[in-house]
Amino acid sequence: MKRKVLLLKFGELFLKGRNRHDFINLLKSNILNKLKDLSCKLQETQGRLVLTDYDQSQESVIIEKLQTVFGLIGVADAVEIDTSLEEIKSELLNIDLFGVTSFKIESKRADKTFPLTSMELDKLLGGVVLDKEPNLKVDLYNPQLKIFVEVRTNGKTYIYKNLHACAGGLPLSSGGKGLLLLSGGIDSPVAGYLMAKRGLEIEAIHFHSYPYTSLQAKEKVINLAKEISTYCGKIRLHIVSFTEIQEQIHKNCDAEYMITIMRRIMMRIAQKIAIKNNLGAIITGESLGQVASQTMQSINVTNSVVDLPVFRPVIAFDKEQIMDLARKIGTYETSILPYEDCCTVFLPKNPVIKPTIKRAELLEKNLDIESLVNEAVANEEIMEINQY
Amino acid sequence: MIYLDNASTTKMFEECLEVCKEFSCNRFFNPSALSSGALEVSRLLAKAENYILSRLGAKEGNILFTGCATESNNLAIRGSLRTGDWEYVFSVGEHPSVFNLAKKLQLEGFKVHFIPLLKNGQVDYEKLQEVLNERTRLVSVMHVSNETGAVNDLQKISTLKKAKCPKAILHVDGVQGFMKIPFSLRDTQVDLYSFSGHKFHGPKGVGGLYVKNKAGLKNLFEGGGQQYGLRSGTENVSAIMQMCKAIQLIDEKSNYQKTLHIKDFFNQQLVSSGCARFGDVDALSDDKMIVINDFHGSPYIENLVFQGVKGETILHALDEKGIIVGLGSACSSKKAGNRVLQEIGFEKENIISSVRISFNAYLSDDELKIAAKVIAEVFENIKERVL
Repeated sequence: MKRKVLLLKFGELFLKGRNRHDFINLLKSNILNKLKDLSCKLQETQGRLVLTDYDQSQESVIIEKLQTVFGLIGVADAVEIDTSLEEIKSELLNIDLFGVTSFKIESKRADKTFPLTSMELDKLLGGVVLDKEPNLKVDLYNPQLKIFVEVRTNGKTYIYKNLHACAGGLPLSSGGKGLLLLSGGIDSPVAGYLMAKRGLEIEAIHFHSYPYTSLQAKEKVINLAKEISTYCGKIRLHIVSFTEIQEQIHKNCDAEYMITIMRRIMMRIAQKIAIKNNLGAIITGESLGQVASQTMQSINVTNSVVDLPVFRPVIAFDKEQIMDLARKIGTYETSILPYEDCCTVFLPKNPVIKPTIKRAELLEKNLDIESLVNEAVANEEIMEINQY
Repeated sequence: MIYLDNASTTKMFEECLEVCKEFSCNRFFNPSALSSGALEVSRLLAKAENYILSRLGAKEGNILFTGCATESNNLAIRGSLRTGDWEYVFSVGEHPSVFNLAKKLQLEGFKVHFIPLLKNGQVDYEKLQEVLNERTRLVSVMHVSNETGAVNDLQKISTLKKAKCPKAILHVDGVQGFMKIPFSLRDTQVDLYSFSGHKFHGPKGVGGLYVKNKAGLKNLFEGGGQQYGLRSGTENVSAIMQMCKAIQLIDEKSNYQKTLHIKDFFNQQLVSSGCARFGDVDALSDDKMIVINDFHGSPYIENLVFQGVKGETILHALDEKGIIVGLGSACSSKKAGNRVLQEIGFEKENIISSVRISFNAYLSDDELKIAAKVIAEVFENIKERVL
């Protein structure tokens, strides 16, 4: 029986040994979750997933959605036929070659009971095409059209022309859960995306300083969370008021240490919320040397108040690289909206570039850190965001 | 809620709703159609046009109905461009829908002059006089500044135009003037005058452009040839009629007097709270007061500088207490800085600390008392927290 299907390729999961099955099951459930509003069936054959019984008119929508599922590396709109040389030959002749001048057949024989090897199949099928279109040329290195023929172990063969690249990475939730510090800038959504790509489920925390910052600034962060949620799945967004803490630091600590101490308190609040919600790591969008608070010394001083691992996936990225990724995942336009986040209100003219833990600890003696942190956590607002 | 951001938009008169229903659900005809109902609607539109002309005090000319004042301004300016060695003159105090267009024209290769502002917010008439000449094609100066409330003297500008470039076209962005400042186009040389319905308690999405000589204006887009071929597209009859209703309900002369009292009363309340004083842009000392910059222009608009505190912080804190104020043009408040305040010589810190208060004629003394009290309290509170 012949039918149109989507052939889904996954990447690194092969490497996962005995856990492979768990990974594939997770991937399958993520795919079905992604396609929850569309009716379809998902089957597994060795090394591939096959999506069938979907509404053909929705095919491009489905492909677009699948391109945001971590763990998949490619999706092809393929024709599925029963494996037999005759069927394969006759299906090959149905392929539209209008305007094509050179081509190449790329066969893959996963089913070792099939009598021809991949190379033999390439040659044979190339000949079949040339018989029909003698003006075409075979070009093994730079063909205008590649025709893929995959003979799988489920007794089916898949023929396709287009392989759409997907996001790659590991299936969401395969790596535990982390808490992303989401500021409203360009870097943090990218950091969240990158960690989710390695399988982390994401919750996010945002600090706002109303009335020093606007409601629009908060709205912007909610929109950013929605945008990365397309990739990262459901996100619980913890919104924490930082107003009083900023005022206290402003009143009681040296101006040049303002940001250092702010960030140390943010990390403490983040860790407290992470532990409360069983999140195993903190994620930040820090990039080494980008601003005064992201020098190695500054990062050391802010890092020293937490025990959880802190993932900084863009630490070695240039701003340009981060911006490119932000554009790719669709957060850039939102990130550059000109609403101040809480860091810029009490910004000192000369923040310290090389703070020390000792000095920070000394200045913090002027604050009742524990109760400030507890109060902030107690008053958090939680939003559930899901655009997956 | 006490709404003091009327330069940004106003609350629509409820009477407009009935008009909306009438022209959306009963007499919903396309005025260009041939039915008897359509003919009636087209007559009503013509009547509306004449009525607005009379309220503008225009001897001759037409009204083009547009989607907003931004469209009116673009139509007025782009529609007046001509090839050849012409010069185009704009004040630097214009709304972004004029100023940014002027900048764009400059990039497109047109010869554009910008006229600076005086300390009192008005256009610098002497500089204007210097720039105008027989090659001037268009002069565009706003009637009332949306940032400061400064009122430009249309007669003075008319005199200059008549003397230096009688053939030039004078465009006035009248968004903060029409239905607020009593005036008559009859006494001026104004050729084009833009206005917007939602600034005077009409609906959003409708504006107009007065055109003295429609032969001198070019259309921006082609279409079915409605509105003398200058603004194709089916007229938004319902919105136009609602705007007309709002105009009927307003007596701008008596409203002007009421608003003079409102501004005065409000300022007195602020001053008597002890944390505000009158000042001018030149002489702001650093005494951490609310400085009332009254440009003595429109009674509808004034500027307050909350020394030492960010205007945006005050805005949010007031919002929480139900007092709505503005930061200047909503079209520019999202961007850093404020061009117009900078042009009249505000220091950077005073710009950051600025809040725009804009009144309507229907505020009660009680509301003003509460607003002034809350503003004083919020300022004291924020000052204590940040200073």
